[in-house]
Amino acid sequence: MSDQKPLYGELESKMKEAEALIKVLRTHQVDAIVGERHIMLVRLKQAEENLKSSRNQLRALAANLQSVRENERAMIARELHDEFGQTLTSLQLGLSWISRMLTPRQQPLREKITSLSTLTSTMIRSVRKIARELRPGVLDELGLVKTLKSEAREFEGHTGIQCRFRTNTARAKFERLAAVAIFRIVQEALTNVARHAHASGAKIALMKRKNWLILTVNDNGKKSTKKLTYSHDSLGIVGMRERALALGGTLTINGSRNKGTTLRVRIPLPRVITGRAS
Amino acid sequence: MSKARKRKRGRDATPGVKIYVFLLFVAGNESNSTQARGNLARLCEEHIKERHKIETVDVLKDAATAHKNNVLVTPTLILLKPLPKVTVLGNLSDTRQVLAALRLNGDQR
Repeated sequence: MSDQKPLYGELESKMKEAEALIKVLRTHQVDAIVGERHIMLVRLKQAEENLKSSRNQLRALAANLQSVRENERAMIARELHDEFGQTLTSLQLGLSWISRMLTPRQQPLREKITSLSTLTSTMIRSVRKIARELRPGVLDELGLVKTLKSEAREFEGHTGIQCRFRTNTARAKFERLAAVAIFRIVQEALTNVARHAHASGAKIALMKRKNWLILTVNDNGKKSTKKLTYSHDSLGIVGMRERALALGGTLTINGSRNKGTTLRVRIPLPRVITGRAS
Repeated sequence: MSKARKRKRGRDATPGVKIYVFLLFVAGNESNSTQARGNLARLCEEHIKERHKIETVDVLKDAATAHKNNVLVTPTLILLKPLPKVTVLGNLSDTRQVLAALRLNGDQR
């Protein structure tokens, strides 16, 4: 045993040296690494600052792109609604006028016109749907809460997945850009539920808790994998996260085998709510 | 030892007073190295005034001494005397820990 003592002492001192080395590397107190042949200068602090600065630039660019995209979507939605919508309505009115002018002997023509009229109605509905998807008019007119309610109803109608929405912010007035961002996050989250979760039910909650606005979208389907959540290829999730970050918030996605997947967005209230709705 | 050398050593060293001998390895004027120089000078001035000797080695100019002393990163401070030898890594900004490592806490003589 006595022979082993110096060995332990030596090991202990080596361990201490290694710990000190790790500490200085972690705290960025290193200027150079001295190798056998080369001395490598390391400027960790500077590199980290550069990285931070480029990350902030990218984030600002992403936020700007989102805003440009929203404006373009709004413009296209308006054009679609006003131009196509009006023209198609005029077309339908014209067709029904022709239909009224026809004599009973022109039955085949009447049938053709009825079929064209039905087609026009379908086109009008499609144009309205596309315009609404591009920029939901209710978001500007009725506000975020009612839009989310309607989105939940529509989602249930389209997919057959039962969707509940609850909130304690019904009377709050949301800042326009924040409302658009939250709405888009919910849209993307619901798309993910429909595509990947194999769920039979989903819940959306928009709750005010102290100085935070908490949005959760939870489903009872498959749990989301970490690989999928943090992958750079999951563009939808990256987009949602960027939208949350642009509002000074955070986005987390948790999955458990029995409870499905829960997406949670936490945003500081002053960035989102501007006052109470009248 | 020659008589002259004995006389010289006798003049320099005051009996009973510990002289602290440091070897500080730095990399030119990089930020942590500059900080380490400043922090060591301040610590010595505050705690062992006129009882210390600092030799600074710039590894960019003298890599051989660094290899000889098994220095892996800069800044590295080695306390050569009084024994036992102590090695401290980093920019020496954590005064409390550096003093403890160099056995200087409480030594104000």
